[in-house]
Amino acid sequence: MVEGVFVKLPSFPFLNPAVSPSSPNCRLGFRRFSASLSAVVKEGSVSLGHSTRPDFPILHQEVNGSKLVYLDNAATSQKPTAVLKALQNYYETYNSNVHRGIHYLSAKATDEYELARKKVAAFINASDSTEIVFTRNATEAINLVAYSWGLSNLRPGSEIILSIAEHHSAIVPWQTIAQKTGAILRFVSLDENEVPDVEELRGMISERTELVVVHHVSNVLGSVLPIEDIVIWAHAVGAKVLVDACQSVPHMVVDVQGLDADFLVASSHKMCGPTGVGFLFGKSNLLLDMPPFLGGGEMISDVFLDHSTYAEPPSRFEAGTPAIGEAIGLGAAIDYLSGIGMQKIHDYEMELANYLYEKLCSVPNIRIYGPKPSDNIHRAALCSFNVENIHPTDLATFLDQQHGVAIRSGHHCAQPLHRHLGVNASARASLHFYNTREDVDEFIRSLDDTVSFFNSFK
Amino acid sequence: MKPLLLEISELASIAATLPFSRSISFQKIPTKSPPPLQASSTQLQPMEELPPKLQEIIKLFQSVEEPKAKYEQLMFYGKNLNPLDTQFKTRENKVEGCVSQVWVRAYLDQDKNVFYQADSDSVLTKGLAALLVNGLSGRPVQEVLRISPDFAVLLGLQQSLTPSRNNGFLNMLKLMQRKALELLIEAEKGDGSSGNGQIANDNSEKPVENSTSDSKVDEDSGVGFSSSKNGEDSSSGLGSRGTRIKKKLEKELSPIELEVEDVSYQHAGHAGVRGSDGETHFNVRIVSKEFEGKSLVKRHRLIYGLLDEELQTGLHALSIVAKTPSEVEAK
Repeated sequence: MVEGVFVKLPSFPFLNPAVSPSSPNCRLGFRRFSASLSAVVKEGSVSLGHSTRPDFPILHQEVNGSKLVYLDNAATSQKPTAVLKALQNYYETYNSNVHRGIHYLSAKATDEYELARKKVAAFINASDSTEIVFTRNATEAINLVAYSWGLSNLRPGSEIILSIAEHHSAIVPWQTIAQKTGAILRFVSLDENEVPDVEELRGMISERTELVVVHHVSNVLGSVLPIEDIVIWAHAVGAKVLVDACQSVPHMVVDVQGLDADFLVASSHKMCGPTGVGFLFGKSNLLLDMPPFLGGGEMISDVFLDHSTYAEPPSRFEAGTPAIGEAIGLGAAIDYLSGIGMQKIHDYEMELANYLYEKLCSVPNIRIYGPKPSDNIHRAALCSFNVENIHPTDLATFLDQQHGVAIRSGHHCAQPLHRHLGVNASARASLHFYNTREDVDEFIRSLDDTVSFFNSFK
Repeated sequence: MKPLLLEISELASIAATLPFSRSISFQKIPTKSPPPLQASSTQLQPMEELPPKLQEIIKLFQSVEEPKAKYEQLMFYGKNLNPLDTQFKTRENKVEGCVSQVWVRAYLDQDKNVFYQADSDSVLTKGLAALLVNGLSGRPVQEVLRISPDFAVLLGLQQSLTPSRNNGFLNMLKLMQRKALELLIEAEKGDGSSGNGQIANDNSEKPVENSTSDSKVDEDSGVGFSSSKNGEDSSSGLGSRGTRIKKKLEKELSPIELEVEDVSYQHAGHAGVRGSDGETHFNVRIVSKEFEGKSLVKRHRLIYGLLDEELQTGLHALSIVAKTPSEVEAK
């Protein structure tokens, strides 16, 4: 039984029998062993990170001569074997075009594809699977709302409220639509906790507001917005709310009926699913009134030379052959995540988030963006930061090449936010449930080494 | 493709030997055809073709085996780089596609050797910039243009050579080569003016959105010839007639987009051209509000009318694309 634990905690060197009992290594090892074992025992079982790691083959490799420590999950997540198998199985046994085929394979493909849709609906507690439109990713989903709902509902003077911390995908489509319709974009700034100012947002909402576009969890600040409240304020003036849930759906329980969101978007590749598929959730009554976005096969009802009639949602918004295998892969990812339980994932990541923040604070001259975690304020398991006098790209390059640690450096598709923070770029470490405390330890150790290296050069 | 003036045959022969050049038709000029880029990964450019100082730098890095020490060496170069005056940290001098900020300034001396200065807010990028500045400065333009970026693998810095938007090193080198070529063309045009000081390109002529070549860095963007869709300043390739055409159209039609391309070389040799000064055929692409409400024929007549003087004095033909701003937007 103890051996089983050892297998899952490969980083402990004290197992080497050649080490004599009196040597410092052993003593240190023994101390570490008891400290970590008691930590493990305290949790009652092996941590989620350790128990799930074996499911992710990609994590077990070396890069540039060091063990890979993957901390770029906000950019994309890794996929468990179950998802890889589902994809392979699809292409090996029942790949076929969906929806209009008669034969056995196409019937099976259609069933599995529609089953995936049901899984997505259940995962976010949508009332019906017809409220789920498969798209290429969240960005396409936002564009769908912009070009379809936006163009038919916005007039000159209509106001769209966003925060300055939105991802470019949530800003740019609305800039285009605002230009076309004469609508006005208004932006909420950050408050003293470095999160979008919810009071300012409330104040901005008026009868001119048609839409509020907000993230659920910020990919830079790690903050969480009170979506339920925002929806209540928006609905009071007849405005709709579009929630960018890319960083929330993979990490916590998201209930669209509980939030009462009008639109919600997410990408498969951030939630352990394959790239190439994402989805839009839209309330039935809204989707029914929306004109098509992309035109073509599958989204039509009847086609004549001079006009065509369109299908009901969701098909109305799914032109052409969809990413069938990928949607099925997303379904498998949802099965995997549900098998663990999103609440369990969330609780584990909360612990990891606090641990990451705490350890990062110990790095001298570091500046972490976003709110300080407290009883009221929960941070997601990601930290964007800068170390004084060291460019984040230098940090990321050195961490990668000398330590195999993968983080991201840049503006993280949030240039307006970085401009507000007064920096060109930041470094970002972002975790997922298959990361461990040891990953964080290794990251901090490597970061310390990196910072000393660059500082010694000044 | 931006053609060169045929008068500069020396440049023409260099251009044909560039690793990236393609589909520029130069007649009767002896060339040794360069290996295509893909093949050069197995067959690196011979060291002797590189500038001597660059060769020294490469050898130095090769002798340093430990990766950390290589970084230290790189940062040492960066530390000792001459500071770049703030006035040169302009948009035209910025290397695109770098997550950090990098500026490169170039100028020629009397003998038309190119010198560089650079700066960056990231120490590693500054080191790479310093490496290039030290390795390339003081050399003839032709030599600088001949450098293939493959040498970077010899440094052992695990420097990626993927021509992507994010490849700062590759984009730095390309910018330095492009600036060297532009300076040389300006210098040759100015009849051997001493070319001291500033970058020869008149910055005010560049369109405000000067998206440089690496927004789409592929084999087509030949060094120095890259004409990205949004109009790299084509005036640096135009002779006096081309410049007059451009200025006239700018003045009379206030276009939001204007591209004037000298394609005379394509017609060299046929009857209408023989005996003229070489600037005979042009492609003009122009987007202007002035065309609103006018039929295609009317638009062309308008342009021909404005350029009547040129047509009387040797301009043989114009190939015109004339659109209104809303037509362009609707696409």
